[in-house]
Amino acid sequence: MAAPAQGEDSDDGMDEFMEKFKAQKYKNAFNESNWEEEFNKVPMFMKTAPENIDPEKNPDLACIQSIIHDDDRTPEEQARGLKDEGNDYFKEKNYKKSVVSYTEGLKKNCMDLELNAILYTNRAAAHFYLGNMRSALNDATAAKKLKPDHVKAIIRGAQCSLELRNYVGVLQWCDEGLKLFPTDKKLLELRATADKLKREADKDSRKAKVKAKKEQNEKKALLAAIKERGIKLLKTELSRHRGSDSEDDDGHGGASRALADLELDGMGSQEATGARVFMDEQGVLHWPVLFLYPEHNQTDFISAFCENSSFMDHLAVMFGEELPPWDTERKYQPQNLQLFFEDPEKGHLYQVDLETSLLNVLQHQRCFLKAGSPSFIVLVSGSLFSKQFLSGKKVKRSK
Amino acid sequence: MLSDGEAAELLSFLNLETRADLKGQASEYVLGLTGNRDGCRYLQSKPDFLQALVTLTSDPSIAIVKDCFHALINLSADETLHQPLVTETVLLAKLLPKLLDPEYVFADRICTILSNLSRHERTCRDVFRALQEQDIGLDRLVEVFCNQGFNKKASLHYLGPLLSNLTQLPEARLFILDKDRCVIQRLLPYTQYEESSTRRGGVVGTLRNCCFDHAHHEWLLSDAVDIIPYLLLPLAGPEELSEEENEGLPVDLQYLPEDKKREEDPDIRKMLLETLILLTATRLGRQIMKDKNVYYIMREFDRWEKDPYVTSACEKLVQVLIGDEPEEGMENLMEVDIPKDVQEKLIELDAKEQEQMEKDEQEQMEKDKQEQMEKDKQESEKKPKQSPEGLER
Repeated sequence: MAAPAQGEDSDDGMDEFMEKFKAQKYKNAFNESNWEEEFNKVPMFMKTAPENIDPEKNPDLACIQSIIHDDDRTPEEQARGLKDEGNDYFKEKNYKKSVVSYTEGLKKNCMDLELNAILYTNRAAAHFYLGNMRSALNDATAAKKLKPDHVKAIIRGAQCSLELRNYVGVLQWCDEGLKLFPTDKKLLELRATADKLKREADKDSRKAKVKAKKEQNEKKALLAAIKERGIKLLKTELSRHRGSDSEDDDGHGGASRALADLELDGMGSQEATGARVFMDEQGVLHWPVLFLYPEHNQTDFISAFCENSSFMDHLAVMFGEELPPWDTERKYQPQNLQLFFEDPEKGHLYQVDLETSLLNVLQHQRCFLKAGSPSFIVLVSGSLFSKQFLSGKKVKRSK
Repeated sequence: MLSDGEAAELLSFLNLETRADLKGQASEYVLGLTGNRDGCRYLQSKPDFLQALVTLTSDPSIAIVKDCFHALINLSADETLHQPLVTETVLLAKLLPKLLDPEYVFADRICTILSNLSRHERTCRDVFRALQEQDIGLDRLVEVFCNQGFNKKASLHYLGPLLSNLTQLPEARLFILDKDRCVIQRLLPYTQYEESSTRRGGVVGTLRNCCFDHAHHEWLLSDAVDIIPYLLLPLAGPEELSEEENEGLPVDLQYLPEDKKREEDPDIRKMLLETLILLTATRLGRQIMKDKNVYYIMREFDRWEKDPYVTSACEKLVQVLIGDEPEEGMENLMEVDIPKDVQEKLIELDAKEQEQMEKDEQEQMEKDKQEQMEKDKQESEKKPKQSPEGLER
């Protein structure tokens, strides 16, 4: 320092000056408590850019930003600037903003193909991390169109297809890429992954087919068994409408056609009660059976009534030990009960011999199953209600 | 054959500049020569003729080109012609570039010639070297092979056997077994390519050759390649396995549909089994095959297979699958030292087995003949008899 030779004075002045430093803070000093915050406001030291740049609060930053968006530069320069801006946002994981920047860059429509390909590829990456797979895929495709050897675009295209579970698509992207870059590890890895997942998916589809076939066969066997026994299934309203044109009105013919056409799914009982007739390992059928007690407006549902069991078998258990709570008069005792089924076409009631098997009854000429579920009316023999109920109806007694 | 004078005259007609009708007749004549062994042997000592044929493949007349290719195919089928064809003519230099030309109508014929020429090691080396000189890597061959529709006029099925032949050379196998590329993986699905047994056979042959190098087994058996399902699928049938058995199999073999067909060519079936047997050479290979329940597939296959040669291979494989692990020092079956007396005994057993198989084959043929005769007899008995003596065979 070229200090004038002033002897003791300048030295004292220097000392004084130095002393001041220790005592006084210099102007515009950073405060000890908030210096970090202050630091962050200086554009050069900012760690992250603020969401919105207010020119009043942050004139320096606003100034810098306007340089980026300055229209005096060439489209290429502007696009490049926007690309960089997008990349910065991307690094901060602010993908939405980066998409905006990249889009602006693409809008400049500059002549630099590679730059545009990069803009598309980077935007694809941003969409990818945002979870917008289709947009990402479109951008990757656009990038590849501009620059077919842009490996990052190809990798991105493959990754998007993988997320979209389009395994064949992944293989196509990878194979295209591997033609140009046969040793690219990322492409090889993606290809192997997609191949494995595709084979798993193929297996799942085969498994489902096998299962469906099995169910189909079981249905067929069940229908065949029912038909073999001569049990007549009545069409539900739905299926009646489907086949009504060709059906003849003759009871017997119509019923047998009903048998041929009926799908077990048309059996409404499945919806109502969740139960359906099934065939066990010995080939014995088990039916869901409804017992109706019109006197008390009650019903009982037996989910699996074995066709070889007799009615008394069930009634003895149902009414043997304890009588149901609705039986206020305590008269529904097994030995007093009478069961009837109704002929849905003619309205006649047929009494059931309680010792006979369900199968026997189902095979009765006038027994038709509605919605695949047999139902029986239960009355107490000799009761007032039963006399009232049966009067006016044609009743066929059992022997 | 031809006198020297006649030969010289004929040769003079086999020229691009010659009048079309003379050229045509000359090439037809040479084609005729190649139709039998003597003709081929005669031409073996006539490199000028061989070269003329090669040159005339560029002739503007399609008929002549066809004849020349046909002749070359015939010649290449004869091993004694291999060296003359590659050393005394420019066949390889001229035809290789056209092999992978997507517009070239005769690409299939070139394929066939190359596949013939590469059959035996010596000329195979020449073919391989020529491919390299033309900058046609094996990965490029595989790429074209796997690109159906690459050449609209040529199916290129014979690239399969070509690849298979080339892989008898260790240097060729290195290309196919490149871990840093996707090469062998592309070939695997073709073990089930229904449209062409040539293609299928070529691929299976290639895979079998690649399995000779047991250093690569671990990689081949790993997920990176996963070779086993592709070897098993052609051998697996529509038989229903229980859910438990299914779940233990590799994914690709689970829940196969009821119309699943097995490989119909017994030679290919045998090659598949041989490849699987090769893969049991290492302890790891045996372990993996046991873990993947390969046995279930072999069990059903054994019940189905009728050909005695194939059955024999199947039984060998099954023995390894259900057998105990060999003792210490014997884990790699390929490296075991077999004592001389045991060797002799094994050779004897092999000979006996061979005899037995030939006997079985004879018996089977006799049985089939017998059955056919019975059938014919029954058929004729249904029709009114012309002569009371019965069938005339």
